[in-house]
Amino acid sequence: MDFSVMFQQLCKGSLVTMQLFIIVLPLSLILGILVMLGARCSIKPIRWFFEFYIYILRGTPLLLQMLILFYGLYYIPGIGPHLVITSRSFACTLAFTLNYAAYFAEIFRGGLLAVDPGQYEASKVLGLSKSQMYLHVVFPQMFRVALPSTANETITLVKDTSLIFALGIEELLQNATNIVNSQATFVPYIFAAIFYLVLTTIPSVIFKKLEKKFDF
Amino acid sequence: MMSVLKAKNLKKSFGDLCVLRDISFEVEKGEVVAVIGPSGGGKSTLLRSLIDLEKIDGGSIWIDGDPLVENGIYCKPAKIAAATAKTGMVFQHFNLFPHLTVRKNLELAPKLVKKQDFKITTDDCTLYLNKVGLSEKADSYPRELSGGQKQRVAIARALMMHPDILLFDEPTSALDPELTVEVLDTMKQLARDSMTMIVVTHEMSFAREVANKVIFMDQGVILEEGPPEQIFFNPTQPRTKEFLNSILKGQ
Repeated sequence: MDFSVMFQQLCKGSLVTMQLFIIVLPLSLILGILVMLGARCSIKPIRWFFEFYIYILRGTPLLLQMLILFYGLYYIPGIGPHLVITSRSFACTLAFTLNYAAYFAEIFRGGLLAVDPGQYEASKVLGLSKSQMYLHVVFPQMFRVALPSTANETITLVKDTSLIFALGIEELLQNATNIVNSQATFVPYIFAAIFYLVLTTIPSVIFKKLEKKFDF
Repeated sequence: MMSVLKAKNLKKSFGDLCVLRDISFEVEKGEVVAVIGPSGGGKSTLLRSLIDLEKIDGGSIWIDGDPLVENGIYCKPAKIAAATAKTGMVFQHFNLFPHLTVRKNLELAPKLVKKQDFKITTDDCTLYLNKVGLSEKADSYPRELSGGQKQRVAIARALMMHPDILLFDEPTSALDPELTVEVLDTMKQLARDSMTMIVVTHEMSFAREVANKVIFMDQGVILEEGPPEQIFFNPTQPRTKEFLNSILKGQ
């Protein structure tokens, strides 16, 4: 096989990987904040729901969640057939977003616990409303504490994208495997490793910059 | 004279522990009230209840005539906000916002809460930083300041909201002894400017020199109150004498 063809295949695969990453990261970060707030809600049923959500999504493999979302919804009695997801890439995006939101929720919860109670009291005596307090005082400090773990999780997300081969989507690692099998050469795996390294280096550099910037 | 703050029959328990039993007192405009007494006597709880950081179980609080709580029943949130807006607070551990510069610490609440004109806010900021002697630190972050400087910024931040009364919860207790002077000097300056203040403190010299009225609290009650000369040189209660003896020996 021509080297440039191999390279093209791997590039195509890494595009799929990047696409998934770029969509899932912002969605799961936003959803993660909402889940975290839900899991701290003073209304008990809402809190229980989100605590249960985190429990399930963190306690089962992402691969399994993907398979259930794509193949399993049909078997839910009654409403199942209406829920079926026909697009493989949509099922993957949804599963990744739901799963990573649970992890991010836990990371943010930890960040929130690190914010000194005195910050809430100072905000209150200055007359800030609840939303002003969270937006201007609590969240910036929470994100600062959560940054290193968020960086970690983001890098994991890049690598986890290889799981979508299970739904038959051709991503970077799957394309490399295909070439390895058909051409009887190990080289594509080494290239795949380099591709992954490049893809994970970008977020880690950005997060390092952010950590420096928010070093208060 | 009109009383800026009036507290009547305040009661508060944490579970079985009764921390405030029937506390009543008044603070008049321009008065500096020092609250002294042994730890665990309810001083901080009393102070915190005046700005709604603690909910009392019974009694009434009025600030400038506006009720915060009457006979143990709290007013509607808007009324509580209106009453506590006239009160500022300085904490033992400063509680500055670590992610904001000194200037932004001062300007945050006026901008968000009062939606005040930008020019007025920056002018106020310059004025109050000058007052606490920290104009050159406007663009520093709290972590770059000493404890004494942090507390002076916290005082300036409280002043930015133009409170009618300023509460101090052991403002020098977290400071190294050599740093307490600068904070106490700032507070003396405020007293000279006729700021109404309630100060929970262990600094007996401050209470003696600056306060118009001293309240001695122990086990949830006001055992004795009066001008500093009376409390420090002629206390009537044996418990007050005992406390002053033990603390003055220490200092």
